[in-house]
Amino acid sequence: MASAGSSAGSVTVLAAQLYDACINKFPSDHLFYQQDLLGLDIVPKNELALLLQCTQSLVDQKLFRLLQGKNDRLAWKIISREDAEKLQNLSPDESLVYNVIHSTGRSGIWVRAIGNRTNLHKSILDRCLKSLEGKSYIKSVHNVKFPSRKMYMLAGLAPSEDVTGGAWFTDGVLDENFINSVAGFIEYTVSRKSWYEVPASDGHRNKRMKTADGGMAVKQEAGQKEYLPFPAGYLGYPTVAMLTGAVNESGITPVRLGEESITQLLEMLCYDNKLVALNNGEVYKSIKNPEQVKSQQARKPRSDDAGIDDRLVKNGMTEAPCGHCPVFKLCAPGGAVSPESCEYFDPWLEKALGF
Amino acid sequence: MTSQYMAELCALLVEDNFGELFARIFSTLQRYDRLSFPRLKFYSRLSDRQLRHGLAAMIQHHLVYHYTSLDDGATYYEPNLQAAYYLVRSGKILEFIHARLGKYAATLMATIMFLGHAQVSYLETLPELQPEPPKTNGMGDENEEGEAGEQLNGHRDDEYTFEQPALLHPTLKALASHGYLIRVRDAQFQSYADNALDAERAIKSRPDVKQMKGKKLDETVLEGTLTLLKERLDGDLTRGLMFNGLPRGAKLRHANGSADAPSKRARVDYDDENGDEEENEWSDDDMGGDTTPMELGLVVRVNYEKLDVALRNRRFLELAELNSSSVTAQVYECLLRRIEYQTKQCRDSAEIPREGEEGEQYSVAIALNAVTEEVDPQLDLAGSIGPMEVSQPINRRGKRSLEDGINGTDHEASDKPSRSYEIDQHLSLLSQPPYNLTSKRMLAGLITWTVEFRHLARKLRHLELERVIEARYGDVALRVIRVLHAKGKLDEKRLQEISLLPFKDLRQVLASMQAGGFVDLQEVPRDAQRQPSRTIYLWFYDPDRIRSSMLEDTYKAMSRCLQRQRFERNRLKEFLEKTERSDVKGNEERYLSQAELTLLEQWKAKEALLLGEVARLDDMIAVMRDY
Repeated sequence: MASAGSSAGSVTVLAAQLYDACINKFPSDHLFYQQDLLGLDIVPKNELALLLQCTQSLVDQKLFRLLQGKNDRLAWKIISREDAEKLQNLSPDESLVYNVIHSTGRSGIWVRAIGNRTNLHKSILDRCLKSLEGKSYIKSVHNVKFPSRKMYMLAGLAPSEDVTGGAWFTDGVLDENFINSVAGFIEYTVSRKSWYEVPASDGHRNKRMKTADGGMAVKQEAGQKEYLPFPAGYLGYPTVAMLTGAVNESGITPVRLGEESITQLLEMLCYDNKLVALNNGEVYKSIKNPEQVKSQQARKPRSDDAGIDDRLVKNGMTEAPCGHCPVFKLCAPGGAVSPESCEYFDPWLEKALGF
Repeated sequence: MTSQYMAELCALLVEDNFGELFARIFSTLQRYDRLSFPRLKFYSRLSDRQLRHGLAAMIQHHLVYHYTSLDDGATYYEPNLQAAYYLVRSGKILEFIHARLGKYAATLMATIMFLGHAQVSYLETLPELQPEPPKTNGMGDENEEGEAGEQLNGHRDDEYTFEQPALLHPTLKALASHGYLIRVRDAQFQSYADNALDAERAIKSRPDVKQMKGKKLDETVLEGTLTLLKERLDGDLTRGLMFNGLPRGAKLRHANGSADAPSKRARVDYDDENGDEEENEWSDDDMGGDTTPMELGLVVRVNYEKLDVALRNRRFLELAELNSSSVTAQVYECLLRRIEYQTKQCRDSAEIPREGEEGEQYSVAIALNAVTEEVDPQLDLAGSIGPMEVSQPINRRGKRSLEDGINGTDHEASDKPSRSYEIDQHLSLLSQPPYNLTSKRMLAGLITWTVEFRHLARKLRHLELERVIEARYGDVALRVIRVLHAKGKLDEKRLQEISLLPFKDLRQVLASMQAGGFVDLQEVPRDAQRQPSRTIYLWFYDPDRIRSSMLEDTYKAMSRCLQRQRFERNRLKEFLEKTERSDVKGNEERYLSQAELTLLEQWKAKEALLLGEVARLDDMIAVMRDY
C-alpha cells in the first residue's frame, strides 16, 4: 500500500512534469499519442502502466482531454490551466455536456444532438445548459440553415460561416441593405477603374471629331465626362484583393469582410450583369461607366421610375399587351377572352399614340 | 414544327396579303395537310375554276407545294407555312435592301416578292421598273417613295426612258451576287419530304446501289440523297458574279460619303447613274467589260435564307452597339459584312439544336487586311479606345491632340500605329466577355477574325428570354434565372447563398416564376417512402423549354395583333370604305371633313402601331427560331 501511495505521489509529480513539458514543447492544439509522451523522457524506463496512470491523473484534473485518434488509438490534448480550473468546478454532468459542445468547435451543436450523445435526461440537460450559459462558458447561436433549431457553442468562439451564412447575414437573416450598399460601392469602384476618363483638355478635340464623323453622335453632351473603354488585354482592372481592401477601408462595413465574402458579392454582381469577370474571375470589369452607375444609383430610391429605363431594352413581347395579359392562355378568337373583346388593347393604343 | 398558333398566324397573313380565296385554300390545306385536288375541292367548297386559279397563283407564290406521285398519277397539294410566314418579314427585308443597295433595288425586290418569282425578261417589261417613281403594289414602302419622288422629280422623266435596262440588270446582278436572289428550280415547288423521298428513290434505283446490302446501303443512300437534294434545290446565283470575292455592287461603306445620311445619298446615287461615277462602285465594273445582261430566261425568287443571315448580322451589330462605341460597332459591321458574303444560311441543321448540345460553328475567317479595306478611311479609330496604361496617358494622347491642333485633319504623322493594328484593337475589344462577339484566329501566320455564330445566336436568344422575364418578374428574378442557368439545378439554400437574396423574396419570385412556367422543381427523394421531409427539392431553368413555349406565345401575340387590327378596321369599316373610294383616294383634303381627316390620321397611326408591333414580335421569332 505504501509503495502504492508513494507511487501515487510520484505519479502526480510525474504528471505535473509531463504537463509542463507538453505545454512547453508543443503547440496548444497538438494531438499527443503515446509515442509523443514517451518521447519526452519523463516517464522512467518508458513504463507504459506508469504513463497511463499519469495521463489518467491529468485527465482527472481536466488538464488533459482524452480523445480517440487514428486507428482507435488513444490520444490526448492539453487544456490550459485556466480552462482546467473552470472545468474542475463543473459537476460531472455539466462537464460531460461541456465536452460535447467543445467537441463540435465553431459549428455548434443542436440541443437534441447533445441529448443523444450524452444520454442525459432532458431536464438535467436543460439545467446543465442553463448553468453553463449562466457562467458564460457557452452561448446559444442561430444557424441560418436550421433557423428553428436551438444550437450551442463555446462562448469564446465565433460561429463559422456555415452557421452564420457568411458575412452577409446579421442574426441569421440576410442583410439586404448592407449587401446593397456594399454592392453599390463595389460597382462604382470597379467602374472607376475599368473606364478611361478622357482628360478635360481633350474636350475640344472630341467635339471636333464628332463633327468630322457623324456616326460618332454619342450621348456625351457638353460638360459631361467622356469615358473610353480600355483596349483588350488591359491589366489595370481591379482584383478581388484590391476590392476587398477598398471596401474595408471605405468604412461602410462595421466588420472586416474577407475575400470570400467579397468574391461572393462580385459573383452576384456578375449575375446581375453589372460586372464582368475576366481571366477566370481574377479581375473584374464593369459594364457601365462611372457616370451611368452614379445616375442609376441616384435613381434607385424612386422605384416607380426604375422600371422605365432598364438596361435590357424592351422587345416585342414585353411591349405588346399580350405580353402582360394574365389571361393570355385563355385568349381565342370568338372565346370569352378574345382579341375583339380585349380590354388591354385600347388603353395600350391610346397610351402609345396619345389620343 | 407546325403549331396551332403558327398555323393561325400564317392563315391570317395569307388572308391579309392575298385575300379570301387564298385564305380559304390555305386554311383548308392547313387543316387537312396533304390533299389531292378532288378532296381539296370537297373540303374547301370552291368551284373548279376558282380552285384551279387559286392554286396556280399560290404555287407561283410558293405558298403551296405540289407533288405528282408517279404511282397513282394524282397530284397532292400541301401548304408551305414557311413561305407564308415570311410574308410578315417582307417589310423588314425591303428596308434592309433599301439601306444596303438603294431604292431601286428595294423596288425591284418588292416587285419580285409581289410576283412570287419572276422571269428576267418579264421584269424588263414591267412599267413599275421603269425608273420613274415606281407605283409598286402596296408592299409597304409607299411613304418613302412619295418623298423620294418629290425630291428628285425635276430631271426625271426625260432621262430615264432609255436608261432603264442599264439599271435593271446591274441591280439584278447585285442582288443575285449578294445571294438575295436565287434561281428557281423545279424541286423548290415540292416539299422537302417529297424531294427527299424522290432523291432516295433515284439513288436506290442506281444499278451500283442495288447490289449493296445492309449498313453500306443505308450509308450510301443517305449520302447520295443529301447530295442529290442539294443539287436539285440549289439555286445559287452568286457564282461567277463575285468580283474579287466581293459581290457586285457591294459598295464600300465609305463610298457613301458622309456617314450621317447614307440612305439619302445612296438614293441619289442610284437615280442619276450617269452623273458622277466615282460615287457608284458598280457602274465602274460595268465599264470594265461585264456589261452582259442577265439571262432573259432566268427565273428568280427571293432567297430568305440568305436574308436571314443578313438580318441576323444586323442583330449582332445591335448587340455590339449596346456596349461599344460607335467606331467599334462600325468596324464590326465591316467584319460582319465580309462574313455575310460567304455565309449561305444561318445554321446547318433544320432545327435549333438543344442547349449545350450545339457545337461551335465558326464563320469563315476574314483576314485582318480585308476588314481594313472595308473600313472607312475617314473613321477615327484611335479616339475611342483608352490607353493601355493610365499612368502615362500623356505619351500617346497628349502628342496626338497636339498634332490635331496643327493639322486639323486625321492624316497623322508616321509614328502613329498602323490602321490595321488599330482595327485589330477594336476587334479584340469586341472579342471580350460578356458577349465575345468576335474571335481571333491565326491562319498561316495571318491574323484573321471570325464570329462564332451558335454562341452568339444563343446569347441573343437568352437576351430575349431575359427581357421577358425581367419585364414580368423584375430584376430579382433575372438574377435567380442567371444563377440557375449558370449553375444548373440548385436547392433553395445554395440558391440563396449565390444569389444573396432574402428567403422571402426568393421564394416569392420562384413561386411566381414556376406558375409562369419559367422555372421548375425537381424532387429527389432520399428514401423509398418519398416523404416530403426527406426529399431534396432542386430548382432548375430549362432554356429550351422556355424558348419553345415563348415561341408559341409570340406567334399567338402576333396573330392577336393582326386580329385586333382587323377588328379595329371593322369598327371603322364604312368610314374606311369611303376613304378608299377611287374619287376620294388621293384627294382626301378635298372630300373629307376635318373630323374625318383626324380620324383617318388616327386610324393610320393605329394600323402602323399594330403592324409595327407584329414586326417587333417577328424579331423575336427570328431570334428564337431562325438564327
